[in-house]
Amino acid sequence: MLKKIFHINMILVLLMMFSCRDPFEPDLSDIPVEVLVAEGYIEIQGESIIRLSKTVPVRSTQSSPVISGAKLSLLDSNNGRWEFVEKEEGVYSLNGNFSPSETYQLQIELIGGKVYKTENLQPIISPEIDELGFLRDQNGVEIFVSTKGDEQAQYFLWSYQEYWIFRPGVISRLIYNDGEVRFRDTDERIDLCWKNNLNPKIVLQNAARFEDNRILQRELVLIPNNSEKLTQRYSIEVMQMAISQEAFDFWEILRKNSDDIGGIFSPLPSLIRGNIYNVTDESEPVIGYISMGKSATKRIYIDISDVFPWPVFIPEYEFCGISFQDTIPPTKQALFEAFGKGDRMPARDLYASNGEIIGYFGAPTQCVDCTLRGSNVRPEFWED
Amino acid sequence: MTRNKLILILIFSLISCLFFQTALHAQEQQKISGLFPGISFPRFAQQVNSMTGYQFYYNQEDLADLQVNISAKDNTLTQILEALFEQTDFKFSIDTEKRVFITKHKPLDLKLAKDFFESPDPLLKTDSLTRQSDIERAFSRNKLYVIGNPGNQKEATLKGKITGIETGNPVFGAVVFERTEYRRAITNEEGYFQILLPVGRHTLFIQNLGGFIEQRQISLQGDGILDVAIEENIISLSEVTVNSDRMTNISRPEMGVQKLNIQSMKKIPAVLGEVDVIRSILTLPGVQTVGEASVGFNVRGGAADQNLILYNHSTIYNPSHLFGLFSAFNPDVVESVELYKAGIPIQYGGRLSSVLDVKAKYGNNEKIKVTGGIGLLTGRLAVDGPIGENTTFSIGARSTYSDWLLQLLEENTDFKDGRASFYDLNVSISHKLDNKNIIRANAYNSNDNFRFDRDTTFRYENLNFNIGWTHYFNERLEAEFVVGRDNYSFGIEGRDNPSNSYDFGFNIRQDFAKIHFNYDYDFRHKFNFGIQSTRYRLNPGKIQPWGLESIVAPEEVNQEQALETAFYIGDNIEISEQLTVSLGGRYALYNFLGPNTSRIYTPGLPMARTTLIREETFNAGEVIKTHHGPEFRISGRYILNNISSLKAGYNTGRQFIHLVTNNAAIAPTDIWKLSDNNILPHWGDQISLGYYRNLKVDKYEFSIETYHRNLRNLLDFRSGSTLILNNTVEQAVVRSQGRAYGAEVLLRKNTGKLNGWISYTYSRSLLKTAKDEPAEKINNGEWYPNNFDQPHNAVLVGNYEWSKRFSTSVNANYSTGRPITLPVAKFEYGGSERVFFSDRNAYRIPDYFRIDLSVNIEGNHKVRKLAHSSWSVGVYNLLGRRNPYSVYFTPVNGILEGYKLSIFAQPIPFISYNFRI
Repeated sequence: MLKKIFHINMILVLLMMFSCRDPFEPDLSDIPVEVLVAEGYIEIQGESIIRLSKTVPVRSTQSSPVISGAKLSLLDSNNGRWEFVEKEEGVYSLNGNFSPSETYQLQIELIGGKVYKTENLQPIISPEIDELGFLRDQNGVEIFVSTKGDEQAQYFLWSYQEYWIFRPGVISRLIYNDGEVRFRDTDERIDLCWKNNLNPKIVLQNAARFEDNRILQRELVLIPNNSEKLTQRYSIEVMQMAISQEAFDFWEILRKNSDDIGGIFSPLPSLIRGNIYNVTDESEPVIGYISMGKSATKRIYIDISDVFPWPVFIPEYEFCGISFQDTIPPTKQALFEAFGKGDRMPARDLYASNGEIIGYFGAPTQCVDCTLRGSNVRPEFWED
Repeated sequence: MTRNKLILILIFSLISCLFFQTALHAQEQQKISGLFPGISFPRFAQQVNSMTGYQFYYNQEDLADLQVNISAKDNTLTQILEALFEQTDFKFSIDTEKRVFITKHKPLDLKLAKDFFESPDPLLKTDSLTRQSDIERAFSRNKLYVIGNPGNQKEATLKGKITGIETGNPVFGAVVFERTEYRRAITNEEGYFQILLPVGRHTLFIQNLGGFIEQRQISLQGDGILDVAIEENIISLSEVTVNSDRMTNISRPEMGVQKLNIQSMKKIPAVLGEVDVIRSILTLPGVQTVGEASVGFNVRGGAADQNLILYNHSTIYNPSHLFGLFSAFNPDVVESVELYKAGIPIQYGGRLSSVLDVKAKYGNNEKIKVTGGIGLLTGRLAVDGPIGENTTFSIGARSTYSDWLLQLLEENTDFKDGRASFYDLNVSISHKLDNKNIIRANAYNSNDNFRFDRDTTFRYENLNFNIGWTHYFNERLEAEFVVGRDNYSFGIEGRDNPSNSYDFGFNIRQDFAKIHFNYDYDFRHKFNFGIQSTRYRLNPGKIQPWGLESIVAPEEVNQEQALETAFYIGDNIEISEQLTVSLGGRYALYNFLGPNTSRIYTPGLPMARTTLIREETFNAGEVIKTHHGPEFRISGRYILNNISSLKAGYNTGRQFIHLVTNNAAIAPTDIWKLSDNNILPHWGDQISLGYYRNLKVDKYEFSIETYHRNLRNLLDFRSGSTLILNNTVEQAVVRSQGRAYGAEVLLRKNTGKLNGWISYTYSRSLLKTAKDEPAEKINNGEWYPNNFDQPHNAVLVGNYEWSKRFSTSVNANYSTGRPITLPVAKFEYGGSERVFFSDRNAYRIPDYFRIDLSVNIEGNHKVRKLAHSSWSVGVYNLLGRRNPYSVYFTPVNGILEGYKLSIFAQPIPFISYNFRI
């Protein structure tokens, strides 16, 4: 809403006429900045996930390396202590029930012996999500969330996970196996897959700006026209967290630093701080704001019939097709030559009028096999 | 060519003629009007003879071939003949019996004063503007004026008033001096001077800024009066030079003062061909800007909000249009601009860095004049002149028609709904009630309106009125009383979608009253004193839903009120011929007033929601917080010798209103904040030292000034603070201290075909979080450069006059790139790649360098034609250098790529047409 005010990232039209941008590669005399980055949310009921990583130089092509082998523990003010377990590299998990009226601290101990702590965490209970809905308009499908905050919960953070079904460029029920081609079993099908987007952007909103702290139809996701997400069925699960003002500020800086930089009236970038500090050297920069509380989640499904018509365009499948000019005879040798390398797959079969098989047509594997881009295993939660 | 010169000279002489009339003993010459279209000289002589009775004596053969091609209107014969013989060998003399003698090579000696045809002073010879042939002028120059009644006194006081010939207006800042004893006086704002001289014969020299040196021979017998009319501004007459401070540069007691008149501004190539007050002052040493499209300027390491911008007493909060592309002052109504970088006169206060005093015309008292111009983006028109005997006025209007440019962007669909428009209007009226009372009124309005897309419209507006009354009690005491209102507002209309539509508004209003006295106690002491009071009413932000469907909650940040009052007194003391000292004291009293709620925080802890102890509510008019304290203005000048002087100064200041911004530039959506119980007033001091020297008989002017400033209670911003619609700004800021120092070197050539200046400035401006600020120590509490810290800055402004009609100007500008905070590392967070920034302002953008070129072409100078016109054609950023305005990083294919954004990234040609009727 007030985005426009804060976002005075507008570029004056007139200046645009004369302005231009050029690459800029400053000499950063590469100070090896390796800063601890901690991200996560501690649930008072259920599983809490904390991820640890560190920064890399700005022009590095690597993504930030995770930090594994750290010891994470949640402490309360009465010497209670709960240890996290490292679920995968750099991902630490804790299951437990904690009191919403108690304050806690997260402690992180790295392999080198450095110890970090968060400031006191006061759990905040998020109200339920009132509505998770969608709207079809000329730009696509907008998914929005509505909720009503209260005195304690005025600042909201949403994360979400999307799953959707897509189909490959060429649909084939055939499989080449040991020199012969046969129909696929149900569990071998590769013409319908699920794809997901598990760590998309974070959406923030301050409810205090609105009457009765009511957030009405805050846009979370825009599915652009022709997106594969609505090929057949799409599902989004939204996790709503109520956070403190300080945490909100942290996320806001993060957003501003990423989104708003570079315009003529852009604010100056700000130093990112968080609520984590090195217990022996408070001046050491640490990135991350750990919040604690009870989140609210909600899931919806959108079918293609809800948004029909929805033409789909998947760039990877743009040039996909079956080579009908090459009939591969059903001999072991010919089939092996055609499909044995794995770069092509049988796509159609051809029968004579007497019902006898004459041969097969093939297509490139990347056009046929949807598992190259997703998974053909139906997610556990998925409802049809 | 010759003819044009001729007309010029006619005009020139016309003024001399007026001058002559105002002199005490005028020698009346008959006026000649008429068209002499290409006739032979003998015929011309005949015609003149029949019209006026002048008898011509000349050699028929010599003059038979001379063609006369003149259109005269109320010119004297002298002027006509001067013009006529300008390019020839002929000389003439006119005697009292209306006989005209024309001779070759040498004029006939009619036994007038010995030095009749010579400048009486060798200095004057070097003045390229001196035209010794101006007979009348020479006459009153060399006439002996006997003043006063003889008495026993050894010294006598000579008083008088210097007025301009053309306008009759008092001339401010003219120097009246005498060369044998080096006595000297400077006229005050009303043109009065007073000089103590030994009884006896003297040659008095009177010099105005940029004007001729006029002289009078006097025989002073006792106290007396000598009024002199001088050419106010030689420049407007022949459009030749950039102004010069000449001797005043050396002898003025103040330092750090820069004066530009509109003529010199016209010579500076401007972007899009528009003469621009603010861009012009950016060519002066010690004045910098963070970027091309930024509003405001930085003086000696001070922030943009530390400049008091006055337009005939009105405070202008946003002095620009289109984000600083144009300054908001119509060049046709601007008379002059004075910038005080140090030694701010005692009557000004409330800002730490500088005072930019833009003086607008009140209109000439001769005839209605119309001036105007058409540029690529703007059109402007101004009318000034007399209404009746005692009233003059000046009205100006300017508007843009830039929408057509935006239409060109049609292809660029992002901007096809963009609109930008602005206008400004000025009215100034001066009315003379009688000899002792003058009423002056001013109104100013500037308005900007623009949008980038259909959804969001921005607008801002300055609206100012004031009325002043000047009263002369006697020759020594005068007072000026001014009341007025200044208003600045901006607004945003958001029409994104019906449920989110809103109107956002900000407004600042100040009502002021001030009374200022000038008292010339005696020749040693000149007092200035007065009282000023400003009542602020500030609406820091208000958002309202727009339309029935909107669910935007109305929100309003509490209005702020304050009253700022200051008393001041200053004394200009002439201790000796060499030493002049200016002492001033000012006491500022500031009350932050209710109705409002004040927040009290736990001392020693960061101001935050959690440290809030209590809130107190105050009713209307109740004093919430008082800040007060003295300010000092001390400066001195010591004349080392005829051509050089030393000056030193120390001053302090307080500022109670602050711009809160976390942009590098002033954005049109930045809000101002009054000092309250949590945000302390800015305090600053400055110590400066300067050396001034004129070289080659005032042809070159050299100065070097150094300064050091301390600033306290500045505001810098906590990371990620939101400033708009923030009721608790104190929770978003950190208290900082500032330090600025530097040196400014200026070499200026005032006269000659080639004129202009070159300046170099070294300046630093640093910030440090205050020691006792608990909230956040930016850069660990170390000194760090300010956003506008640009250590090296060099400017060249050169102007070459090929002829009277044709001149070329070059402006070259170099400065160190401004500091920025760079991304140094990246990390994953919240599902995206994020950047980690360096310490605040730890890096710099590339250096800035730009050359502009312009050619000014004056139209021909026929006396009878509809309008005098001129063209200005040029190129801004001639080299097309892509000077980065800002630098930003954005991910491209997963790698954070840096980009520099340049605003005027290519040569921008411009053309503008100006006229005056």
